[in-house]
Amino acid sequence: MTEDGEQVIATTGLTKHYGQVHALTDLDIEVGPGVTGLVGANGAGKSTLIKILLGLLEPTSGRASVLGHDIATAGEEIRRVVGYMPEHDCLPPDVSASDFVVHMARMSGLGASAARERSADVLRHVGLDEERYRPMGGFSTGMKQRAKLAQALVHDPRLVFLDEPTNGLDPAARTDMLRLVRRIGADFGIAVLVTSHLLGELEQVSDHVVVLDAGHLLRSSATGDFLEQTGSLLVEVVGGTTERDRFGEALAAAGLPCRPRGTAVVIDPAPQLPVHDLVRDTAADLGLGLMRLQPDRHHLEDVFLQGPASAQQEVARG
Amino acid sequence: MAERTGVIHDLGYRRYDGPRDGTATIARTLYVTGLRHAFGLGRSGKSKILPFLLLGLCTLPAAIVVGVVTLISLDELPIGYASYTTQTQLLVSLFAAAQAPVLFSRDLRHRSIVLYLARPLPAPVFALTRWLSLTSALLVFTLLPQLVLYVGALLAGLDVSDQTTALLKAVALLLLTTTVVAGITGLISSVSLRRGFAIVGSIVALVVVPGVVTAVQAIAQAEGADDVGVAAGLASPWSLHSGLADAWDAGVTVFTPPSGGWVVAYLAVAVLVAAVTTAALVRRLMKVASR
Repeated sequence: MTEDGEQVIATTGLTKHYGQVHALTDLDIEVGPGVTGLVGANGAGKSTLIKILLGLLEPTSGRASVLGHDIATAGEEIRRVVGYMPEHDCLPPDVSASDFVVHMARMSGLGASAARERSADVLRHVGLDEERYRPMGGFSTGMKQRAKLAQALVHDPRLVFLDEPTNGLDPAARTDMLRLVRRIGADFGIAVLVTSHLLGELEQVSDHVVVLDAGHLLRSSATGDFLEQTGSLLVEVVGGTTERDRFGEALAAAGLPCRPRGTAVVIDPAPQLPVHDLVRDTAADLGLGLMRLQPDRHHLEDVFLQGPASAQQEVARG
Repeated sequence: MAERTGVIHDLGYRRYDGPRDGTATIARTLYVTGLRHAFGLGRSGKSKILPFLLLGLCTLPAAIVVGVVTLISLDELPIGYASYTTQTQLLVSLFAAAQAPVLFSRDLRHRSIVLYLARPLPAPVFALTRWLSLTSALLVFTLLPQLVLYVGALLAGLDVSDQTTALLKAVALLLLTTTVVAGITGLISSVSLRRGFAIVGSIVALVVVPGVVTAVQAIAQAEGADDVGVAAGLASPWSLHSGLADAWDAGVTVFTPPSGGWVVAYLAVAVLVAAVTTAALVRRLMKVASR
């Protein structure tokens, strides 16, 4: 298990410009053990950040360290203990998954027999069984993603970068992959930096979420903080929109600021009023059945809605 | 517990605490794999056919020559070592053109290069190791028939020191020529990622251009403009090889042999082409890696 509190990734003022294009701007992030989600629209700088951390790209300015190694001076040491699953296709079609993963293990410095043993182990963990002996050209997208994941884990890294591992997967395969990502962080004890442009996915698997937007850090905090209570109350009554509206109007008349959301009514906090009592009494007066009464929570999506207007436009364009 | 756990997860994850190889050992593993792949070993059965067919065709004449020398007791080989390479240069060219894409196009086309470069081996070491695999494959391909000739000549009782000197001259020339040929075909394969284009490009560089050079040299000799022919010889790896072999008295004759300063120029161009193409290969791989 990676020790708690250990810093896995740290960047200071990390910047990458391609001519006029600013891929990353003055990025300061810290990533600890467990699963960290890196969220951003396409083109937000997620893949660029991973490539810089792997030493495949040189930053324009700024510094970064991975597992205590400086990316500027210790790229080789970093790549020895880090696994990488790229977003794009990267598998030769005429080689079997088994042969390929063994070869990749050897390229990470494992001896011949250790490479074979670890490949068999890891391919089983990612769920490639008999298919492993077939050429990968005939693999489905789900199987290819598993083979890509296997080569990233085969040398038992301390950290893996998973770039869009659920890309192109159907819902069932997506759930499987997310469960696997969760297991890598929790059971295998390997720190994970996983990117996605789908916020909902990362809500499920990450301990921590870093949100990038057009190369800027929008927010970085524990997943729980993103989902913290907003202070509002979510109330739902039995019936359809008619009942909802009758209920909402009565609440408003009682002095509670509220608005509809879906089939529910969101009541904004009104500290001077006994909110729960008013809700109960209003429902009783109207003869409506109360179905749900719960604190409202943030969603990861809200981070983007709260972002600066210019940033939102970037996301829309990206 | 009512919850069913998957069979495949039963053993749990095992960590690896064993030894890990250093960069040199990883590079050696990559080199050996590359060399094997150049001959189709460790790949599909189909991919072994062409390299071994060409190797057979290239070695067969040497075996026949040895048979003839032994049967009718000649006092010298009817064909010299360096001259043998000149005679079989078409086969060597085809081998280089067909197998360079195996080592250089595949990783780039399927983008598995990214997986290599995300591992300890630095990009320049990777590129140089690949190039070394191709150079070695070409050396094996060209040296095998020479060794057959050499062993046959010794068994037929020809003079050991004469044969050894001639062989060593041929080997020295081959060391230079194979680095040039590997650099050219490797670079072409790393730029044109489609195997067909890479093969055609290499054939143009190794078969068509030398053909044109030989024609120019023949015309230059007939017209008495030897310098034109000598200068034309700088344009292809095979004319460099033949020209240097002629100048070095290694049993090859060309229409317009280089002499004096031209020999230095031939040598310099060969070394320069090998160095420049190899450097370009390294740059090419590093550029692809950063994308």
